[in-house]
Amino acid sequence: MSWRRKHLIDVDDWEREDFELLLEQTSNMDSILDRSIKKAPALRGKIVVNIFYEPSTRTRTSFEIAGKLLSADVINWTASGSSAAKGESLRDTIWTLEAMGADAVVIRHGEVGVPYYLAEKLKKASVINGGDGTHAHPTQALLDLYTAWRELGSLDGKKVAIVGDILHSRVARSDIYAFKAVGAEVYLSGPSTLMPTDINSLNAMYEPNIAEAIEGADIVYMLRIQRERQDAGLFPSLDEYHRRYGLTDKLLGKAKKGALVMHPGPINRGVEIASSVADGPQSFVLKQVRAGVAVRMALLYLMLGGVKE
Amino acid sequence: MKWLVNGRLFDGELLREGLCDLVIDKGRVAKIAPAGRFVPPEAATKIDLDGRIIAPGFIDLHAHLRDPGQEWREDIVSGSRAAAAGGFTTVVAMPNTDPPIDRSSLVRYVLERGQSAGAARVLPAGSVTKGRRGQELAEMWFMANEGAAIFTDDGLPVSTAHLLRTALLYADDLGMAIMEHPEELSLTKDAQVNDGPCAARSGLKGAPKSAELIAVERGIALAKDTGAHLHLTHLSAEESLEAVRRAKEDGINITCDVTPHHLTLDESLIEKSGYNSAYKVNPPLRSERDLEALWEGLADGTVDAIATDHAPYHLDEKDLPFQEAASGIASLECAVAVVFDAWLKRGKPFGIERLLRLFTAGPASVLRKSDLGRIEEGSVADITALDIGRERRVEAKRWESKARITPWEGSALCGWPVMTMREGKVIWVDGDGGLHAERD
Ligand SMILES: [Zn+2]
Repeated sequence: MSWRRKHLIDVDDWEREDFELLLEQTSNMDSILDRSIKKAPALRGKIVVNIFYEPSTRTRTSFEIAGKLLSADVINWTASGSSAAKGESLRDTIWTLEAMGADAVVIRHGEVGVPYYLAEKLKKASVINGGDGTHAHPTQALLDLYTAWRELGSLDGKKVAIVGDILHSRVARSDIYAFKAVGAEVYLSGPSTLMPTDINSLNAMYEPNIAEAIEGADIVYMLRIQRERQDAGLFPSLDEYHRRYGLTDKLLGKAKKGALVMHPGPINRGVEIASSVADGPQSFVLKQVRAGVAVRMALLYLMLGGVKE
Repeated sequence: MKWLVNGRLFDGELLREGLCDLVIDKGRVAKIAPAGRFVPPEAATKIDLDGRIIAPGFIDLHAHLRDPGQEWREDIVSGSRAAAAGGFTTVVAMPNTDPPIDRSSLVRYVLERGQSAGAARVLPAGSVTKGRRGQELAEMWFMANEGAAIFTDDGLPVSTAHLLRTALLYADDLGMAIMEHPEELSLTKDAQVNDGPCAARSGLKGAPKSAELIAVERGIALAKDTGAHLHLTHLSAEESLEAVRRAKEDGINITCDVTPHHLTLDESLIEKSGYNSAYKVNPPLRSERDLEALWEGLADGTVDAIATDHAPYHLDEKDLPFQEAASGIASLECAVAVVFDAWLKRGKPFGIERLLRLFTAGPASVLRKSDLGRIEEGSVADITALDIGRERRVEAKRWESKARITPWEGSALCGWPVMTMREGKVIWVDGDGGLHAERD
């Protein structure tokens, strides 16, 4: 088994084999999570630094647990995202990290493309994109893929409906790519004002009517709606949004029986998803969280080369 | 006195048959004759062009020289030298400085600093409105008397249709054009890229082409209304070119320019480069189809000039992640080669005379300067010598300009200027260009 990628910035250059290898590896890690003593020594002596310019306790904690379970030293670098000279301090931060000998840097940033910039400047360390602005969130896509694969097996020909604010969603962008790469069909739904103008270049089908979009779907993936989008005039009210696009039990009945309901979290109950669905038997939200740890373990293991004991 | 021999003379309109010799005296072209026909006075310094093109000094209608007020990015001296080294003998300095060039004293400042550089002629563009605030007309007559070449609020469009209409009428009395930066701002707030595939796949806010077209159509309507001359700068969209083409057919007094970067780079490079900020510019790089439409505009005469929109920044403002990096492409020292190289690689889609006019007679007519952009006996001796076969790599670290980031860094381009002469003085020579000439 070999892993030829130094960084994980996006999955848009991954081949199907890459995804499959990662899924297998994640499966191994997942079994570690079932053990009573979860710690494995694979990354002893490796330094993983988390830099989060956007607050995200979930993703950061997930990386932290993943690194620690593999015995890496995980450091959380506190970064303030508010200063005007943000970019300059980022450059200084990069050089500092290099000097300290970080083996992997996990970065979450509110701006598109920052992980590329980091990867270009860092000479040695691997860069893992923990989400860059509206662009990509590759580890989310991988954990979503793993969650679905574990439940459904092969995803060839499966129908995935992603509903909500595609325009501003890094999760949607990465998920579309990942699910398509393993053979699924992807449908997008939501108001046109929350879709990119050139939606065709996302290589998914757009169906503004949610009932049709999720008809017969194997997976219904709901995106978080941010109140700012209403303030920006992209839809008139959260109430109207919920009536049109919120996932209710009735609407879910259109999907395939037993379809998986997924969401990247945190959930806005009563907006994109009704509580009864979020807490219902078809909700895979907590399984996604667990998959997140396993996927990140697998990635760190593959990227940092896993020391042979 | 100088004696230029064995050049292929482009006089602003046509490339003459055979080789020519030119005598330059007292800053003017004293004599033009077929090569070897006459012997000049002994005092003349001989420069053998050995078959290279002698063209009227190239004119750049649109460069940001950042002076006064932002000299860490560029100043008039570095900008003027960069222009000369890029093959230009005249460069129009945009007024979005700090303070903006909105009064005659500042126009004089730019002219005097430009003179002191001893390189390319720097012509100030005055702002249309006081403080570039888009509220009241600036003192255009005072500025014109002092030597302003054109008026623009570039960086921004003229704020309202009413103000643009008034400015057009007022400038028309002075025999001058208004240069408009066409952008409907309500559609481009926070925009970073073209509203196409790159915007879709990155989520970066896209500037739709309609934002340019709306402003172009507004300008055309007002030029038609007033009969005054409106110049539309840095057009980037197929639809804009089409609108200008129609307006010209209707006899409306419209001219336009396009930039070397919109002619050669498209939006796909942003993704391919991993969101490299070198490609961040406004208007944004568009699609391949738009790029092709610009070349059609060059070919059929819709486009009057190629202008650089040279927008230099300090490394600390440009070497940043894409979203926070400053918007603008620095190109003054490679723009001519970028365009000639592309023209050659495309297999010379139209005659070289047409291409040369876009750097000479074309921009001269936008500025309504009949003494520039042509070579004849008695004309000002502004000359650009061009070597179509010369290949050279772009190396921003060796630039006269203070900018150090450019999208063409490291590219080997073919077709470079090798000497520039302003009013009979050699202001720049390419030391490795094989031309034996000395800087005056
Ligand atoms: Zn402009």
